[in-house]
Amino acid sequence: MPPAPAAAAPAATVIAVEDIGLTFPSKSGEATVALFDVSCRFAPGKVTAIIGPSGCGKSTLLQIVRGFLTPTRGKLRFVRLGAEDTAGAPPHMATVWQAFNLFPWRTIIDNVAFGLEVAGVAKAERLARAKKALAAVDLSGFEQKYPRQLSGGMRQRVGIARALVMEPEVLLLDEPFGALDAQTRLVLQEQLATLVETSGTTAILVTHSIEEAILLADTILVMTARPGRIAAEIVNDLPHPRSMATTHDPGFSVLFDRIYGLLRQEVIRAMATEGGDA
Amino acid sequence: MSSNGPMATPATAPAEADPPGLLQRLGEPRALSWIAVVVVIVAWELAVIVLQLNPIYLPRPSRIVVALYEMFRTGGLTTDLVATLIRIFGGFFIALFFGVALGVWMATSVRVKAIADNFIAALYPLPKVTLIPLLIIWLGTGGPFMLTISMLGAFFPIVINTVLGISQCDQGLVLAARDLGASRRQIIRMVLLPSAIPSIFAGIRLGLGVSIILVVAAEMVVGKVGLGARLYLAGQVLETEQVFAVLIVLATLGIVVTKIQDAIDVRLGHWRVN
Repeated sequence: MPPAPAAAAPAATVIAVEDIGLTFPSKSGEATVALFDVSCRFAPGKVTAIIGPSGCGKSTLLQIVRGFLTPTRGKLRFVRLGAEDTAGAPPHMATVWQAFNLFPWRTIIDNVAFGLEVAGVAKAERLARAKKALAAVDLSGFEQKYPRQLSGGMRQRVGIARALVMEPEVLLLDEPFGALDAQTRLVLQEQLATLVETSGTTAILVTHSIEEAILLADTILVMTARPGRIAAEIVNDLPHPRSMATTHDPGFSVLFDRIYGLLRQEVIRAMATEGGDA
Repeated sequence: MSSNGPMATPATAPAEADPPGLLQRLGEPRALSWIAVVVVIVAWELAVIVLQLNPIYLPRPSRIVVALYEMFRTGGLTTDLVATLIRIFGGFFIALFFGVALGVWMATSVRVKAIADNFIAALYPLPKVTLIPLLIIWLGTGGPFMLTISMLGAFFPIVINTVLGISQCDQGLVLAARDLGASRRQIIRMVLLPSAIPSIFAGIRLGLGVSIILVVAAEMVVGKVGLGARLYLAGQVLETEQVFAVLIVLATLGIVVTKIQDAIDVRLGHWRVN
């Protein structure tokens, strides 16, 4: 039986982070507590943003969800929703990275097809799918270029295509626009908002930008300075589709002020501890 | 013609609309590099004639070319050249295979690196010619000896540069590959090795150069055939023209090897340039 279309049967696995803590040992004997008692849930079909001051462990949390880091305390569970909630397998995930992490020796299309290639998809099929993914991010015609030949914004669109071509149940966005200039960033935020809305995929977005979080996310988790904890979980029910026009919505300002109020204290605290460390 | 001077370029800009004169074309770097070679050879030829030098000390270039032709035609120089090439490249390819394999293994396993580190640190800086007496005791002076000495020359630079290239790989790329589902083997083959290729190639350049030196040196010591043996024998009987002829073959070999390496480098590194 062919797999049902994604829209009819959305991935119904909740990612549950339960009392997770992560402590890095250090040579001086004083261990670094990166995360402390973090609990949150990432709902299927929704976009959750994690926002917090630099060094609060938000990217670390993403790496734990991805399974690349093992927490020193607590549990990561995958709950399959149904009549009775059961423990499920980890959903298929794909990451978009702040540093793009494109393979510089591969052409654009071969970069996008990488995941399909390692999965053993036949050449003709993987190239066709990669071509479609590139068209979805407006990069048709750049298939045979190399990453060096593209601007930062275009490279990150390749990064997005490379993740989306895998048709992940969960898209992990690790400060995807952090390395881009402000204008490129605005345009890509809008485009990503549209892509995520239309695909209906679950997404977890780590960001520094309050605007980006409000534009893209349904739920916004505000983290404290190190050791990172969840300070607040804010539901964002501004109407879809969202674009730059959304920033003129009165509801936008309310959310923005609320998040900024929470972050402000934490950023000041983070700056103070950073000074203390040095 | 002052316009050939380096200072003249901005001032004479309008004049450059004219087709370049012969003198100007001769002043171009590409032409100059060949003109310099011709000038030196002609000067050499004339100096030997005018100063009436003894050809045992310095034969005329034209005589060297004749000697070279004769050695290829009747003297079996082709056999020597082929023997030397087989020794150099036979040993080199063995070194390339095992060197890259060991390099990958060392770069991806802390334990293997710990085991191999001291041996490599001890053997790498050791001048490999000093191993010739020991290798002769162990292997005699035949093919196995020649292949071993050639292999030893290329092996260490290739291992060391492979380890270096792989350990300098951007960890973000490795994470991205893992994220996209690549296995450990796929990461080695599709991420670590390609990213290490520029470094491995630097090792190949160094290594092949050492292999050439060692094979020719070994042939001079013990060889019966091969360019080194031919060079040594010609020197023994004061056939200076033949000595120069072999040197020309060796120099040409060096040029050809370098050009082939450049060409492969450009092909493999095309993603690095815009």
